[in-house]
Amino acid sequence: MTVELNALEQLRETPPFSLPQAEKRRILTSRVRELTQHHYERCKTYRNLIHRVFGGKKALEFTNLEDAPFLPVSLFKTQELRSTEADKVVKVVTSSGTTGQAVSRIYLDAETAQLQSQAMVKITQHFVGVQRRPLIVVDHSSAVRNRGSYSARGAAIMAMLLFGRRPFYCLREDFSLDLEGLAEYLHQNSDLAPIFFGVTYVVWKYFLEPLARAGQRLTVPKDSMLLHTGGWKKLQNQSVSPKEFRQTAEEVADIHRVASFYGMAEQVGSVFFENDLHFLQASNYSDVIIRDANTLEPLPHGQEGLVQVVSSLPVSYPGHSLLTEDLGVLRGEGQSGMQGQYFELVGRLPEAELRGCSDTFQERARQ
Amino acid sequence: MIPQTPAESSLAVKALAPSMERIELPALFARSWPAQTPFTPKRQRALVDLSQRILRDVILRNDPASVVLGYWLRRANIGRLAREFCDRVDRSPEVVHVPTGRVFHVAPANVDTVFLYSWAVAYLCGNANIVRVTGQQSPVLARLLALVAEQMETDDELRAANVFLTYAHDDKISGDISKWCTHRVLWGGDETVSYFRSLPLSPHASERAFSSKYSYAVVSASSYRTASDETVASLAQGFFNDVFTFNQMGCSSPHLVIWIGSEPDFEAVVPRFNATLREEIARRNYRGAASNATHRLRHAFDLACEAEVDFNPSEREFLAITLREPARLRKRICGAGLFTHVRANGLAEVVALVEPHDQTITHFGFSSEELCEFARLAGNGGIDRLVPFGEALSFDVIWDGYDLIGDCLRHVLVRSTHPGAQKHSMRSQPGAHSTIPCGDSRATFVATIE
Repeated sequence: MTVELNALEQLRETPPFSLPQAEKRRILTSRVRELTQHHYERCKTYRNLIHRVFGGKKALEFTNLEDAPFLPVSLFKTQELRSTEADKVVKVVTSSGTTGQAVSRIYLDAETAQLQSQAMVKITQHFVGVQRRPLIVVDHSSAVRNRGSYSARGAAIMAMLLFGRRPFYCLREDFSLDLEGLAEYLHQNSDLAPIFFGVTYVVWKYFLEPLARAGQRLTVPKDSMLLHTGGWKKLQNQSVSPKEFRQTAEEVADIHRVASFYGMAEQVGSVFFENDLHFLQASNYSDVIIRDANTLEPLPHGQEGLVQVVSSLPVSYPGHSLLTEDLGVLRGEGQSGMQGQYFELVGRLPEAELRGCSDTFQERARQ
Repeated sequence: MIPQTPAESSLAVKALAPSMERIELPALFARSWPAQTPFTPKRQRALVDLSQRILRDVILRNDPASVVLGYWLRRANIGRLAREFCDRVDRSPEVVHVPTGRVFHVAPANVDTVFLYSWAVAYLCGNANIVRVTGQQSPVLARLLALVAEQMETDDELRAANVFLTYAHDDKISGDISKWCTHRVLWGGDETVSYFRSLPLSPHASERAFSSKYSYAVVSASSYRTASDETVASLAQGFFNDVFTFNQMGCSSPHLVIWIGSEPDFEAVVPRFNATLREEIARRNYRGAASNATHRLRHAFDLACEAEVDFNPSEREFLAITLREPARLRKRICGAGLFTHVRANGLAEVVALVEPHDQTITHFGFSSEELCEFARLAGNGGIDRLVPFGEALSFDVIWDGYDLIGDCLRHVLVRSTHPGAQKHSMRSQPGAHSTIPCGDSRATFVATIE
């Protein structure tokens, strides 16, 4: 263990949304500098990138978080990026994004796995409470059946199982809604308000929309909560506004507390939860920088650009500063009842239209 | 695109020019498909008319690729092709040139103008044509097709001899059209070519396939270093056109700049080249697609994991990678404005890099003797074209190393059977069925289209 934990301890010892932005940024910058140095020493590929792209060792000495080196998140799909010995790896998280068939491979050692799950627990408990509530998974159970190779969807469900008890999968294999099963589950677990959880597009397409279409209205305990994540990547053309999503949940499922969170396999744990202003709130563990999609210049509040996520957690792989292909806008800080800044996710960069002389067959494959 | 619903399960295509919602294959094949002698004045005039329509069109005259197409189809160039055809006729007195008959063109989906070049050559040569274009038409492609359809309304032969169509990929439709044609032209990647090659042609038919290609620039570092500011600015203009016209996805768009020269020259010219391109981009106020930069970064970071390179990740609209380990050179296509500078000691080192899929070299600073010697040395190894900066995408009837006019013709050998008898040549006369020799008719037909 070569990383000095002081900065990390400062971020971890207080409640996850308690550090004012400036103070958090200062401590996080120090932590990210440690991590940058650490990965530079431990990961040859990362070291090469520091020299070839970021101008060498002087890139390790940044004082502003915006000047920290970053990797495109897609790099985990094509390169083995590891800052720990192979025999220290306890888990390889894989996830496929929407860009092609390549799969990210994230190497976790015991320390990073623990840091990530502790952060996830602290952040999530802030929103759902410490008590484990009945968990209704808006999906079918085979999404997590094969534990060797579940999808990003399955991985999200697996992570959420930690926070609920007696998970009930309310969709059948064919994605139809099991209303009778759901009613019986609610009846048998009426002591505590349940958490509904699912991937955004599944919740919409197979839960809220069918209920709305059928003109049905569920009756659920008063403090029931709907958590969703993953956004609209799968159903771009059906995308509904977050407001419409919440209103529909209220109207057809009687759920008045709806929250999404933003996270990725490359930075498990330090997720961004939807706050009371319906923006994504950075915790002590992480922060976000918005960059011009063309020049990569950091952008001020209010301007749309690429989302860079910075996390204090990744030790066993150089994933502490990642440039995503998601588009977001910084919306402010301190006005949400929580400390730290927050942003709005506005979409994803469309895939480059790079079909040239060589595409008549690919078109075939897409049909 | 044709929805593949059971109700429409009989084989049909959507004709875009002449415009018809739907045409069944039997009806398509039953059309008259008139063939003509090559280079009739009427067919030349049809192309010249189309040129004027394109160059006058409000949408197309703002699309650089369409303007280039419009110029290619203009009278002077079609006249040049006709004269070259006459030369061909004159050179081969024992050959009568007739059209191959029915040509099936499969156009690429994103280089909007290719289908019209391919078709124009075949039509000039006297053929009937079926041209398959993509179902997802860009505004430019849709406009080009609309102009062709419009012209068909007043040109019976144009309408009778050609159908521009689309259909969702379907083995049976592609297979039937493949059996119908006497010559098939495939524009597309290696996958497209392999796919269509599984669909047999008539045993008498021929095929020309244009598959995935890789192209690059080769520059004399010392010539560039000593070139005037004016020269390097015009090279930047040419390079911009070569790279950005189809978002660097034209098969002849360069992906490397190979500098021939010493290391000090290399270190001096690379920053100058990048700076002039930066200026050219600023001068044109060019903005590419929003996702181009991340696309380039993905590729560049990936390369930087594997080879000694440097680049500026925040460069606007392009990404110039300097590769310092030439042995690590990989001919991967990124597109969207990414290219790699690499140094070589001489053209002989470039010859060693040549591979069969290499198509175009855009060059600066070499004599024509050096370039011809290069082509001879590369030989059957690869490289089909060596053209100056700025002409990478200029279409010509010699393409990918093949003679497209020759492809669209059948060369009928007519040799006298009487030994010792005076040979008399059987010549194809463009635009005329009389027996006057081509040399004499040349003036006639050039006059016809003017």
